[in-house]
Amino acid sequence: MTATRLDVPARPRTWPRTVAIAGAIIVITLLTTLPALGGVEIDLGAIARNWGNGADRIAKLMRPDLSILPRTWQPLLETLEMALVAAAISAAFAIPLSLWAARPTNPNAPFRVAVRSVLNIIRAVPDLVYATILVAMVGVGALPGVITLVLFDLGIVVKLVSEAIDSADAAYIEAGRAAGGTQTQINRVTALPQTWPVFASQVLYSLELNVRVSAILGLVGAGGMGRLIDEVRGFYRYDALATIILELLVVVIAIEITSNVLRKRLR
Amino acid sequence: MTAPAIAPLAIPARPRKPLVRAAWALVTVALIAAWWHLDIGLRDLATLPPDIVHYTRLMFTDPDLTALPDAFFQTWRSVAMAWVGALLGVVLSTLLGIPAAAGVGPWWVRLPLRGLFAVIRAVPEVVIAIIILTVTGLTPFTGALALAIGGIGTHAKWTYETIEAVPSGTSEAVTAAGGNLAQVIRWGLWPAAAPELMSLALYRFEINVRTSAILGLIGVGGIGDLLTGYTQHRQWDTVGVLIVVVIAVTMSIDAVSGRIRRRIMEGARVRDVERSA
Repeated sequence: MTATRLDVPARPRTWPRTVAIAGAIIVITLLTTLPALGGVEIDLGAIARNWGNGADRIAKLMRPDLSILPRTWQPLLETLEMALVAAAISAAFAIPLSLWAARPTNPNAPFRVAVRSVLNIIRAVPDLVYATILVAMVGVGALPGVITLVLFDLGIVVKLVSEAIDSADAAYIEAGRAAGGTQTQINRVTALPQTWPVFASQVLYSLELNVRVSAILGLVGAGGMGRLIDEVRGFYRYDALATIILELLVVVIAIEITSNVLRKRLR
Repeated sequence: MTAPAIAPLAIPARPRKPLVRAAWALVTVALIAAWWHLDIGLRDLATLPPDIVHYTRLMFTDPDLTALPDAFFQTWRSVAMAWVGALLGVVLSTLLGIPAAAGVGPWWVRLPLRGLFAVIRAVPEVVIAIIILTVTGLTPFTGALALAIGGIGTHAKWTYETIEAVPSGTSEAVTAAGGNLAQVIRWGLWPAAAPELMSLALYRFEINVRTSAILGLIGVGGIGDLLTGYTQHRQWDTVGVLIVVVIAVTMSIDAVSGRIRRRIMEGARVRDVERSA
C-alpha cells in the first residue's frame, strides 16, 4: 500500500522555487535564441538544405586519407614541443606566483590581492585570442604559440596550486615561524615541499591541456598542427582532416593515460 | 644537521630513486631538444618585452570607444551561443552520462559510451565546429552546436563520475522496496546527484563563454569574429576596447555564476552561520 504513496512523494514547499528556476532558464533561453536580439537563430531548415553538401563531406570524413600522414609529423612534433616548452616555462613562473597568491605563504594582503587580480584577468582572456593578438605582435611562428600556452597554463596552475596551499593544513608553516624563519625561508623549506605533489600534478594536467590547445593555435598562425588543419580545411580536404583528427586523438589519449598514471603515483 | 638544508630542498632531490632521476634527466633533455628544435631566436626574445610594451600602449592609452556598442552586441551573441550550447550539451550529457555510470548501465552500454566521451574530449571544439559548419553554414547556431557536442566529452564524464560518487545506500533502499532501474535513478540517484550536476551545468556555461569567443575566430560570429577582424587590420585602439569588454563580461559572468554555484552546493548563508556558531 505504501508503495503507491511513495511513487509521488509530495514536496509542497519547493515547487515555487522550482517554477522560478525553470522560468529563469526558459526566459534566458528565449532571450538568447531571439534573432531580433542578435541571439542564436536555431535554424533546422539550414541543416535540411545543406544536408546534401554536408553529408558529402561527412562521408569524406569517414574515409581518412592516410597519404597525408608523412606531412603531419613535422607539425605534430612542433605541437608537442610547444606544449612541453610552455609547460616547463609556466611551471617555473608558477612556483613564485602560487606562493604569492596564497594566504599562508604571503601574509601581505595588498600584494596577494594584486597577484590574484592579475591572474584572474589573464584567465579571463581565451587562449586563441592571445594567439591572434600575439601573432600580430611578434609574427607567425612557434613563439606566439608558446607565450599563449604559458599564459593559459599560468592561469590554471597558479589558481589550483594556490588554492591547495590555502586549504592545506598550515601547521608546518607555524612551525617554521616558531623556529624563527623569515617568510622566504618558511616558504622554501616547508610550503614548497608540501605543495610539490599538487604542483607536479597540475603541471602534468597543464601539459595535457597544452597538447589539445596547441593543436588549434596554428589556425591563427601560431605554429603546430593547427596550421595544417587550416590548410586542409581551406582545400576542403575532409579526408585528410579525418586523418589529422585521428592522429590527434591517438596522441591526446596516449598523453592523457600517461599523465593519469604519473599523477596517481604522485598521490 | 649543522648545515641548513635549505639549498637542497629548493629543488627536492630524491637520491634513493634512480628511476625518478633518470626520468627527470630524460625530461630535461627532451625540453632542451624541444627548445632547440623550435628555433625560437634569442633576438626575437630580446625584442619581445619592448614589443609588448609598445602594443599594450597602442591598445590601452587611446581607446576607440566608438566600437563599444558593437562590441557589446557581439559579446551578447557569444554569450547567447554559450548559453544555448550549454543547455543542449548538458541535456545530451545527462542523458548519455547516466547510463554510462557504473551500477546503472550494463558494461556493453558503459564502455562504448565512455569511449565516445573520450573521443569527443580529444577533439578540439574548433575542429568540431569546422565539421558542423559544412551542414549548418557559418552561423552562431554552428557555434552553439559545436559547444554542445564538444561539451559532451567532459560533461558526460563529470555526470557519470558524480553519479558514481553518490553513496549506494539510497539506491539499495529503493531496490529493496521493489523499485526498478528507472525508479532507482529517479529516487535513489537523482536527488543526491542533482545539486552537483546543476553546479557543473553552470560551470559548463562559464567554460562555454570563453570557448564561444574562440569559435568566432573561424567565423561563426560573436566577439571572436570582431577581434580577428580588427587585429588583422591592426586597429589596436579598437582591439584594446574589445579585450577589455571580453575580460569584463567573462569575469562578471564568472562572479555571478560562481555565487549561484556556491549557493547550490552549500545552501543558504543562514545555515552557514548556524553551523559555524
